[in-house]
Amino acid sequence: MRGIEILKSSPFTTLQDSGRYGYFHMGITNSGAMDLYAYNLGNKLLENSINSSSLEILWGGLKIKSHVNSSFVITGAYFTVKLNDVLIENYQTYEIKVGDILEFFQKKSGFRAYLTFKNGFEVQKVLNSVSTSIKEKIGGLNDGEFIKKGDFLKCENFTYKRKSLSREFQPKYSDSLTLRVIESYQNDLFEEEERKRFYNSTFIITKEFNSMACKLEGESIKSKRSDIISEGIAYGSIQIPKNGKPIILLNERQTIGGYVKFGVVLSIDCYKLSQMKESSKIRFEKIDIEEAKKKLKEFKNYFL
Amino acid sequence: MIFKEVSENSFIIYFSDKIDINISKRIKFLFNEIHHFEEIIDVVFSYTSIVVVYDILKCDSIELFEKIKEYEKCLNINKDINEQLLEIPTFYGEEVGFDLEKVSKEIKKPIKEIIKLHTSKDYHVFSIGFLPAFAYLGELHHELFTNRLESPRVSVPKNSVAIANLQTAIYPKTSPGGWNIIGRTPINIYDKKYKNFSLIDVNSKFRFKSISKEEFNDLGGEI
Repeated sequence: MRGIEILKSSPFTTLQDSGRYGYFHMGITNSGAMDLYAYNLGNKLLENSINSSSLEILWGGLKIKSHVNSSFVITGAYFTVKLNDVLIENYQTYEIKVGDILEFFQKKSGFRAYLTFKNGFEVQKVLNSVSTSIKEKIGGLNDGEFIKKGDFLKCENFTYKRKSLSREFQPKYSDSLTLRVIESYQNDLFEEEERKRFYNSTFIITKEFNSMACKLEGESIKSKRSDIISEGIAYGSIQIPKNGKPIILLNERQTIGGYVKFGVVLSIDCYKLSQMKESSKIRFEKIDIEEAKKKLKEFKNYFL
Repeated sequence: MIFKEVSENSFIIYFSDKIDINISKRIKFLFNEIHHFEEIIDVVFSYTSIVVVYDILKCDSIELFEKIKEYEKCLNINKDINEQLLEIPTFYGEEVGFDLEKVSKEIKKPIKEIIKLHTSKDYHVFSIGFLPAFAYLGELHHELFTNRLESPRVSVPKNSVAIANLQTAIYPKTSPGGWNIIGRTPINIYDKKYKNFSLIDVNSKFRFKSISKEEFNDLGGEI
């Protein structure tokens, strides 16, 4: 069998593609790669089709043995990575041969990396996607499990082609980020003074940051009312619960909910958010919806 | 219908500011019509609204909303949605209906009466969310109106049948929950063997049927 064998796993490593869509009305979340920009770059560098699966890696310790002659690329967070004891870089395709060992050590910057192979991994789709939902026990190799020692991910032999992204375009991660916000949903339930406070504050990411949501600590933002009739929740929604501390809702968010929402973070900025970690500083800035639509169109066209 | 932009690739349509079964039927009718539009990536309906997530490379929000409005005009709300009736056998014993006493005290009715009222109506799906296959069903007889628990239970067993306000629901899996538990069904409503993993369809209608402990055990129920 051709593919890669997991010799040593690392916590929270999952198989992802661009997400599970079309079942949201059943309460089944989108899952998928948290940093869609880094994930898409991996597929683009390998000239893969846009939804090819990838491993999303959060921590070092992952050790892989190749049983295939192919190519791979690492995008997203920067780890110390060695291919057969030789240090390798992100954003560059590498040739891998049968018997080669790929190992991830310490994380240097960013939060999650994507390991993509030429043509992706051959895994049975569940509800139209291979994305792993730990919460729902769907997808991945085994009903929503994390990747573990002994797992085998099938992929084929391919001729190596060298491709890289020049350094100036490689994302640089820091510990602070400004998120652009489209004012929508219940934005009119916030007084001008509360809006000002929201945009003037620096919030801190708490330890409650996962694929469902990013909870912030900082100023409390007050709304005229805290409950509404439950409605669908868009990706990037900024929920303001009773204690006034903003929560940004992400890939595995609840599909409907009854708390007020200030607006929605631009999806491209949510991808950047997924590279932040506990204690990172977050600020917000307003963006006009037409401008926001332009940005998403540019993003999608770039990866077509 | 009130249209509001939500994000770069989604918008919300509000149908009402009140929960009402006729509004809900209208929403679901429309949901059924638009669900398979090729411009739509995801669409979620709830009590009074529909959120549409669309492909911005295929259409614009206003354009899509206009298209949806055209379909809405043609809706024949007097025609039945073609709701499939699902009977849910339920054991209403105190060993599984943890809040039966509490509800009995709160609404000042004996447990027998609670069971009678709960099983005497067909329930319609108002919304699905919170968990996969967690359907918000309603409406209960107004006499069964209860408040949620002061603080949610850390763990509500899978297949518990619950009520809160004028809604009723079945917990598809063990999870925290703030509703009043009045019974348990031996049927798994969330199971990979079903299409979409759920026995619940947007168009399903539900009716609860009281069964004995023996029948509950025979049908595979767990206490």
